[in-house]
Amino acid sequence: MSASVRLVDLARCFQGIIPSIIATSDAGGVPNVAYLSQVYNVDDRHVALSRQFFNKTSRNLDENPVASVELYDPLSMQAYRLRLTFLRSEKSGPLFDAMKMRIDAIASHTGMEGIFRLIAADVFEVQSIEMVDGFLIDAPIETPQASLDGHRTEVRGLQWVSDRINRATDLESLLDVVLQALDEYFHFAHTSVLLMDEARDRLVTMASRGYGESGIGAEVPVGQGLIGTVARDRRMLRVTSLEADLRYGRAIRREAASGSSAVPLEAEIPLPGLCDAQSVLAIPLAVGDRLIGVIAAEDRDPLCFGEWHEAYLEIVANQIALVMDRMIDRCDKAADDAAPVQAPQPAPPAPAPARTRVAARRPLTLTYYAHDEAVFAGTEYLIRNIPAKILWKIVGETARSGRTEFSNRELRVDASLGLPPVKDNLESRLILLRKRLQEKCPELQIVPLARGRFALRTDATLELVER
Amino acid sequence: MQPTRALELGTSVVMASVDAQNVPACCRVIALASADEVATVTVYMPIATSHAVMRNLATTKRVAITATNPTDHCSIQLKGVTMDARLAREDEAAFVRARRDALVDTLALVGIPRRVTQNVAFWPAFAVTVRVDEMFHQTPGPNAGSRLR
Repeated sequence: MSASVRLVDLARCFQGIIPSIIATSDAGGVPNVAYLSQVYNVDDRHVALSRQFFNKTSRNLDENPVASVELYDPLSMQAYRLRLTFLRSEKSGPLFDAMKMRIDAIASHTGMEGIFRLIAADVFEVQSIEMVDGFLIDAPIETPQASLDGHRTEVRGLQWVSDRINRATDLESLLDVVLQALDEYFHFAHTSVLLMDEARDRLVTMASRGYGESGIGAEVPVGQGLIGTVARDRRMLRVTSLEADLRYGRAIRREAASGSSAVPLEAEIPLPGLCDAQSVLAIPLAVGDRLIGVIAAEDRDPLCFGEWHEAYLEIVANQIALVMDRMIDRCDKAADDAAPVQAPQPAPPAPAPARTRVAARRPLTLTYYAHDEAVFAGTEYLIRNIPAKILWKIVGETARSGRTEFSNRELRVDASLGLPPVKDNLESRLILLRKRLQEKCPELQIVPLARGRFALRTDATLELVER
Repeated sequence: MQPTRALELGTSVVMASVDAQNVPACCRVIALASADEVATVTVYMPIATSHAVMRNLATTKRVAITATNPTDHCSIQLKGVTMDARLAREDEAAFVRARRDALVDTLALVGIPRRVTQNVAFWPAFAVTVRVDEMFHQTPGPNAGSRLR
């Protein structure tokens, strides 16, 4: 192996922003050349290539285990050539899992789950690395490696983030603080936090930063798309060439759709957030086996998220997850400790009347669609599922009795809301409801009182319609 | 992908050859030309970066050429035998430059900046004429590797 260039020096080339090329030959000396979506750096002597289809490259390697790969630095376009010896195909294990996750995420995102998939991780020993002299007309301009400036060392960063997190007084402020810390310390300008709804096996967007539309309430099924795959696998995902990966996935989708096999394909899931994101970093928030949620960051710069972020943020994410889990538990416990606002009255068996008016000033029609468990404010969708049922319960109670203050405990004991018996995430559901009202229906507000208690405030005349 | 799409402006072209021990080598091609519906093609490769590929042609002559549209990954692979290898003439420089400029434009569409791609060497070049014996569908997916001709 060349002493002058090491695999570790080619970190940017391994991000897959500019496709690499691979040349192989069959036993009879007929060459084959193809593009590679990504080359993975395994260690200082080995690389791995993903095998997604049984193609000519794979057959050639079985006959003649040598290959030549040309890689490109995405910042300078400088080319490097690797001479490789094929060692083995791995179909399980940590390397396979890491490579599979990225491919699964892109496949799921483009509606190609099960069709576009990793068959094997082909592992090669690197025999030589050569920088291709004369590839560039002028010498590449050296770009400084990403580093923390001034006194912001890694330990200082941890201290800074943990300090911010620990100052949060409740779950809602914790979510905001996490995104603020990522922005101010890591310069992640477009981020969101999704919390796990275990009962529905979905992630729900609870907070976001850096978007015109907050996307609060947007849902991602576990296992679907980039974020859903991170939730399912409980592993961080860094995609540094998103547009290229999606283009590659779409090419395969087009081919699969036009083929004679006519495989039924799922609809492509729209990526929440930036429409022109070039890089995505999704970090699972887990405590033991329990998934709390996912933090997602994206950027228009394909090199925004580096290897450094991946390792470092895993530590930060663990800390955030622990605090978040503790906060959720504390909210739940506080809610249980809180006395009910009023002595519970025997609940009338009938649901809210079909049309009820609450004396106030401006008219506001809320419609509950029982079949979809969704509430609309006027003609605009407001919220669905358990938060919708909570909203419908409290506006109905206000309409019936004039009561405007409520406790978490009374919600928790109301079986009609469908809250799970343990880890019900009631606090996060109330945060979601509060934020959706702030965004979509500001004339109706839920205001926290003491811990475990809240009030419904409105200056509108509510008209409640159930369908 | 129709065979003639390999000749379209903006395609990204790569080429491989093998030595006598069947060890492959590859390099980027700047321009691809054909006057006979891809029965034969002439590839233009920068002299500076194609030494290994050219060295192999002196002994084995077999080559593989893949042309890809970077915007949609539509790809075709040509396989054949080298008929002629020479220095590209000055009167071919304008053609090679025009193909290089078109590739720079196309790569800019997929997010690779011009300041980066315009710095890739393209001249002086070798011109290698290849008799195309086989042609394969190479777009990623289940049909990759199927024979077109």
